[in-house]
Amino acid sequence: MEGVVLAPADFVALLNQTLEFAYPSVVIEGELSSFRVSKNRWVYFDLQDELASVKFFGTVYNLPGPLEDGLKIQVVGSPRLHPRFGFSVNISSISPVGEGSIKKAADLLAAKLQAEGLFDEARKRRLPEIPATIGLITASNSAAYADFIKILNERWGGAEIQLADVYVQGAQAPLQIVRAVEYFNELSSLVDVLVITRGGGSAEDLASFSDERVVRAVAASRIPTLVAVGHEIDTSLAELAADLRASTPSNAAQLLVPSRSETIAGLAVARKSLGEVLIQRIQEAAREARASREYLTSQVNLLLSDRLKMIETTQKLMSVFDPRTALKRGYAIVSKQGRNIASVKQLKAGDNLGIQLSDGTIGAKVQEI
Amino acid sequence: MAKSPTRTYQQLSDELNRLIEWFESESVNLDEAIDKYEQAMGILRQMEDHLKNAENKVKKIAVKFDAG
Repeated sequence: MEGVVLAPADFVALLNQTLEFAYPSVVIEGELSSFRVSKNRWVYFDLQDELASVKFFGTVYNLPGPLEDGLKIQVVGSPRLHPRFGFSVNISSISPVGEGSIKKAADLLAAKLQAEGLFDEARKRRLPEIPATIGLITASNSAAYADFIKILNERWGGAEIQLADVYVQGAQAPLQIVRAVEYFNELSSLVDVLVITRGGGSAEDLASFSDERVVRAVAASRIPTLVAVGHEIDTSLAELAADLRASTPSNAAQLLVPSRSETIAGLAVARKSLGEVLIQRIQEAAREARASREYLTSQVNLLLSDRLKMIETTQKLMSVFDPRTALKRGYAIVSKQGRNIASVKQLKAGDNLGIQLSDGTIGAKVQEI
Repeated sequence: MAKSPTRTYQQLSDELNRLIEWFESESVNLDEAIDKYEQAMGILRQMEDHLKNAENKVKKIAVKFDAG
């Protein structure tokens, strides 16, 4: 190259070509310093050790959460020479490393998200009692997946599990998990519940589940979420943001669906008590019918005896008016030529009369008036 | 009885609960009670059948969630 005169722009282009060919991607681990975010968008920092310091450049979308100087982090990126600002490594992913830094970064993020209310109890929704469709976000070749499915199958049947196979650790994991959560939330027919799970591991293995982008995606999910990461003792921030947290993948399956055998026992109880209720209802109806019959019978009897009394009274009254009653008491009916006589004015001496007594009629003649 | 094979377990369970509530209400007509009892028994059979025979299905989503 000696003797070849290059313009500055040509030199930058040539160097970048060489860098891209020789180092398309580098992984650098060191202590974070001079960390700053400009205009809420651009991220600048240095990674250093005792002997050197390297400049990095990226966007806030590359951040796993809030960072501060002194943290040990690992950055994946590509080295570039900027035509104006000089050399830097363009960031493609950042992750805190070492238990201390991971914890510190998680604490910083936890405080920030807590202040925003992302972990509030009031935000938590109830999971469906019996989910018919489950969106499962995990690595398909993991023990977590196997455990979850095993317990799910033992406990319950008939559910449709849509599996989003993602990395659950490493630099690619956070964005894959975020994309999977978004994928499920963008479907026209939403699943009933989202389960995000992985088994135990080192603090670094589990760090993706305390990544700000993952935690925010979980919190923003329209679909209720169940997150189970690691063992009982591990708590990731994604679990805190979830509607429900389970301690392990197996525990997630336990919390998600009821037990088949307990449910069958419950159905047997329901069947028995429904039968008892029906019998009770039939007995009640029979009792009611009997009571109605008795009431009706008594009402009819009452009515009949009333009527009988009335008839008797009427009969007595009628008998007073019956002329035969008077005949029995010694009165007589006098008639002339078949007509009853009520006055002496209708008679004259010598008229033939009929006199009806209670037990017969006699003939008589008027002697005088 | 209306029978739909597409009813989910949850739907069956909700329907059963509605029938149980009806039985627990005050005024129950006997003819209706017998009819509803038969409905409930039908739903219970479907639920038990589901519990004993239904299997979970796993469908792997054919989408890559890689960056970019």
